Amino acid sequence: MDCERHEDEGLRDGMMDVLYGEADSAVRARVEAHLAGCPACREEMAALRALRRDLVAWRRPPARPSFTPRGVVLPRWLAAAALLLLGFGATLGATGYVSLRRAVAAQQARAAELERQHRETVRALEAARQSRPGAVDAQALLASLDARVDERLRENESRQGERLRQTLANWEERAEAQRRVDMARVAASLSYLDGRHGQQLARTNELMGYVLASQKR
Amino acid sequence: MGRSDEELVEACQSGEASAFDILVARWEDRIRGAAYRFLGSDEEARDVAQEAFLRAYQAIGSFKREARFSSWLYQIATNLCRDRLRRRKTRATVSLEALEEGGPVMVETRPGAHERLLERDLARAVRRAVDALPEEQREVVILKEYQELTFLEIAQALDVPVSTVKTRLYRGLGQLRLRLEREGVRGAAPVPAPAR
Repeated sequence: MDCERHEDEGLRDGMMDVLYGEADSAVRARVEAHLAGCPACREEMAALRALRRDLVAWRRPPARPSFTPRGVVLPRWLAAAALLLLGFGATLGATGYVSLRRAVAAQQARAAELERQHRETVRALEAARQSRPGAVDAQALLASLDARVDERLRENESRQGERLRQTLANWEERAEAQRRVDMARVAASLSYLDGRHGQQLARTNELMGYVLASQKR
Repeated sequence: MGRSDEELVEACQSGEASAFDILVARWEDRIRGAAYRFLGSDEEARDVAQEAFLRAYQAIGSFKREARFSSWLYQIATNLCRDRLRRRKTRATVSLEALEEGGPVMVETRPGAHERLLERDLARAVRRAVDALPEEQREVVILKEYQELTFLEIAQALDVPVSTVKTRLYRGLGQLRLRLEREGVRGAAPVPAPAR
């Protein structure tokens, strides 16, 4: 095992240069000449190359959020809370939508009922007129009735439309109120984040402020 | 083509603060990588990288462009890691990653599972072996093997002669071979008699 490498630091350094591809031609030639006549060093170089292949196995884990604050990173609990709030808001929205649909359906049902009654009245009057063809003012009576029924329908539609608008306005008001509550909750959560989990960012900002201040001086 | 480190440093020194952002973006990941291997904790590595850049920013006005910017940055980061490691000796801490690595191995049944387990065992063995090296050798091994710095850059970063870097690396590799061979790791060949 004894060879000049043990006494010659230059040769040993040259082996390191060759191993890492940093040797110039003269150093490479010298090392190769030595390796050609020294089985121990040949074996060692081969072992070091194999070792380098093994060392690659220790990889670094994937990078996490980094030095430059490129965006706000929420902790998992806050993300979960935000999802919960979103879910709550969505539920509220769905509930409001269902209520609205029910109100519209009820109005349609009432309008259909009025229409049915109107048609029955018309049919009855028409039957009465046919049974008494001599009646003079049957057409006028029917026209008058039609006008009154139409007016009742318009009034009813107007009332229902007003109720619908009112319902819609109430629902929008409630949705807006809930949105404000949600925003307030998110703001409170973010404040908590600033206080608890944003300490590092605050420290960075503080240090950067100090750096900038010292640069200005 | 982007500006070189030297040009960016010059720009910083002339008051162009945004040039430093480019240097951070360029070197942050590598500095964190080195700090992670020194400290074994990604959380601490992030802190060290952050502090290293802050210190570099503070001192960039006085940075003399005799050494490379990256070497200077590695020097700052290495010193910060040394400080942390010294503090650890008085206040023993175990990183989450270390706990994770020492934890139970999940049973894998997918194709290639055996190879992956072998690979993971090898990674753990390598990490343990590198961690067990004396500080001076460990620094050189990490900067050379994992950061791929040249011998000159390492010498500048550690403020030692190039020949010292090579000697420490040679000895460090010898130690690693011994340890990995003892653990029966693949590729580790018998180690010849120690030099001197």
